[in-house]
Amino acid sequence: MSKYIVKRVIAAVLTLLVLITVVFFLVRLMPGEPFTSEKLNPIVKENMIKYYGFDKPLIVQYFQYLGNLLKGNMGYSMKYTNKTVNYIIGSTFPYSADLGLRALAIALVFGLLLGVVAALNRGTRLDVFCVILAIIGTSIPDFIMGAVLQYVFGLKLKVLPVAKWAGFKYTILPSCALAFYTMASVSRTMRASMLEVVQQDYIKTARAKGLSNFRITWKHQIRNAIMPVITIMGPTVAAVLTGTFVIEAMYAIPGMGKYYVDSTNDNDYSMILGMTVFYGAFLIFCNLVVDILYGVVDPRVRIGK
Amino acid sequence: MKKASKMLALLLALAMAASMAACGSSDGASAETTAAAEAAETEAAAEEGAETEAPAEEAEEPAAEEADAGEAAGEKVFKFATGTEPTSMDQSKGNSIADNEVQRALQEGLVRLINGEVQPGLAETWEVSEDGLVYTFHIRDGLLWSDGEPLTVDDIVYGFKRLVDPETASPYGWIAGSDASHILNADAVLAGEMSVDELGVAKVDDSTMTITVDTPVPYLLSLLGSCTEYSPVRADYVEQYGTDFAATAEKNVYSGPFVLTSSENQELHYAKNPNYWNADAVNFDEVVQYIVSDDSTRVAMFDSGDVDYVAIPNEQVPLYEGQDQSYQNGNDDYLYINSASETQPLLQDANFRLALNYGLSRTEYISLATNDIYDPGCTFVLPMLSGVNGGTYGEEYGDKLSAFPVDGDVAKAQEYLKAAGVEDPSSVTVELVITDAESEKLIGEVIQQQWQTNLGINVEIRQVTYSEKYGTVLPSGDYELAYGGWGPDYDDPNTYLALFNGNSPYNYSNYKNEEFDALMAAATTEQDVVARMDMLAQAENILLEDGAMVPLQYRTVHYLMNENVTGINFTVGAVNFDWPFGDIAQ
Repeated sequence: MSKYIVKRVIAAVLTLLVLITVVFFLVRLMPGEPFTSEKLNPIVKENMIKYYGFDKPLIVQYFQYLGNLLKGNMGYSMKYTNKTVNYIIGSTFPYSADLGLRALAIALVFGLLLGVVAALNRGTRLDVFCVILAIIGTSIPDFIMGAVLQYVFGLKLKVLPVAKWAGFKYTILPSCALAFYTMASVSRTMRASMLEVVQQDYIKTARAKGLSNFRITWKHQIRNAIMPVITIMGPTVAAVLTGTFVIEAMYAIPGMGKYYVDSTNDNDYSMILGMTVFYGAFLIFCNLVVDILYGVVDPRVRIGK
Repeated sequence: MKKASKMLALLLALAMAASMAACGSSDGASAETTAAAEAAETEAAAEEGAETEAPAEEAEEPAAEEADAGEAAGEKVFKFATGTEPTSMDQSKGNSIADNEVQRALQEGLVRLINGEVQPGLAETWEVSEDGLVYTFHIRDGLLWSDGEPLTVDDIVYGFKRLVDPETASPYGWIAGSDASHILNADAVLAGEMSVDELGVAKVDDSTMTITVDTPVPYLLSLLGSCTEYSPVRADYVEQYGTDFAATAEKNVYSGPFVLTSSENQELHYAKNPNYWNADAVNFDEVVQYIVSDDSTRVAMFDSGDVDYVAIPNEQVPLYEGQDQSYQNGNDDYLYINSASETQPLLQDANFRLALNYGLSRTEYISLATNDIYDPGCTFVLPMLSGVNGGTYGEEYGDKLSAFPVDGDVAKAQEYLKAAGVEDPSSVTVELVITDAESEKLIGEVIQQQWQTNLGINVEIRQVTYSEKYGTVLPSGDYELAYGGWGPDYDDPNTYLALFNGNSPYNYSNYKNEEFDALMAAATTEQDVVARMDMLAQAENILLEDGAMVPLQYRTVHYLMNENVTGINFTVGAVNFDWPFGDIAQ
């Protein structure tokens, strides 16, 4: 097992290095420049180029960046000139992660529940209801979901705040809006996977052994059916926890979502790189955890290695 | 709260992992059920936890409201939401109106421009030498920074020097130079050709300093009063924090009406600065500025009573008819014409450029492209800038300018087209550069459609990003027509007209007219303000008669304001929303 984990970690570090290299050179190919405004004059621009060290050869800048990154320093943002990328990520990630964890908890609890209930009651009205809910969830984009919740509960019923992040009350609407899509996809995956498991021979064996329904469902069906859900959890956790542009903007949550879009629009090189490295590392980490979880959940994976 | 949720998630994950691990063991029948039960319990507990948290929060709420009530007894709190995050909290590195608006509350300059009038600031009095080149400022006694340290002439002089020091790399360093303030040697210092000590800003004694300019600058005081990049800076803080100076609230000190108490989490918290020299004029005890990038959310926060002021996004203006107020923010939008274009040589011909101008009905354009929110622009210089006889520039000089007809003039446009030698308009294609902003797409389409109908020429639209437009397209001259605009940096027509100077770095139009350049040069050295303004108006007329650009619109901003709030000014120039001396009735 430990050998397996070491191998995965090495692969992860290599992936990250490739990612950094590709992004570092790709952003420089983007049209436009980081220092642009209708009022910037050429002399001032020269000074700024020197200040950020862009007058050095690209390859030198690349190794400098890698060197700084090893020390954990991602440099200064070029748009928000006196903030470091570390500071921006450090101060916004907790909000995104907080929102993401809440949404994820809602999505997992209800998604799994709906999926299991639907599968166990296949063909009944309950199943149809769950399936419709899942279809609605996957087909309504989060900006509509978010706007509807904000309008109904915030502006019309006035029971919950319309925006900001200042206490439990404030977290309900954005967490639900964000959870909806993930919940729907979890329930769909879980239902499909449960239906497959139900037809396996070992379920028949378990029934023949006279195990109780609860034991069969919990021990044999859910446990085997949950593998695909774990698979989609890796990228989902990474995506949900590192901020969402739409929901965070709509509810004025000071998360990191807006910096993905803004940094690209502004050609803020250090910020784009920082966000990519952070997201990449986080995604790789989540996938690593999923890989390890496979081993934990499914003994066959362990034996295979 | 945050910790609780993280713990919760961790517990959930652990419980899941534990239950699954237990499932893995062959004889774990009982172990597994316990783990499962535990997992279930944890989940239930978590849910309960979440529920129990709610009442706890609510229990806190009344307390908070009581605090609010306490505030109502004496504390005046003003809350507002804006859309743009300031790029820097370092007063020397401001780069936008959003930056300047923040600094105007936090720092004080030599003078302060309030509603168009120059008022004393750190300087109590000042005088200008007869030749208009040397400004002497007499600094108040007993000035203090927010931390109680004395605010000295050295701090003020250092603020100027730091702005132009190439090492600072301030994006607004140019404001000191020949594009605006004309401070002696500023251009050379910026370019690194002279030491920063040779800048024309000097301490005379402990209460006197001078600013020397290389040519008379009639608008210098108004510029000093609005340009927050000229604020004093504490050298010891800059030394202590280096590039982190002003990165957070406690890494800077404040000389203005307010101190910054926090700039975390997209919220700026200001508190009244008791050490401000004019603290008696400051009414708000506390101000909160929420940075909310989503337009609709901002307005929703006003509707739900969370904020006292918010600007309305254009598309929602009709919904608030009757409740809203408006002001012109000074943004003047027009089409750049590359008058040296090689891909479309017709643009080098004034007749063709005039055909473009006359072939556009600005009334129709405003209605289709801006929902009738903006005002049509038929001349170039913003008419609401100050004139020389107490009126606005528009009032005093408007009828002397060859303004384009607001409804266009198709017959005249056709004549100009013929004069430019265009026999078959359908064979002519011009390219219009716009950015990928949704609003610009509509603007591009309306112009395209009007020129196709009125002139019969084809218009191709090329979309680029904002940074591409100002980073490469305009500076390199690789375009034919481009949508853009300019907000005034100071209250004088020069801020616009200088853009067409043959040697200006901002002359993206590649416009070259010796008569115009000569007139502008003469205006620069003219000491008589009326004669100077006459010259500037003549210069603008040359541009209009030459069709040097296609003026489109002057922007108007609609906003919602709590009716208890008074004393807030809306101005053009470095600052639009000028709130530090506002008041709120209890």
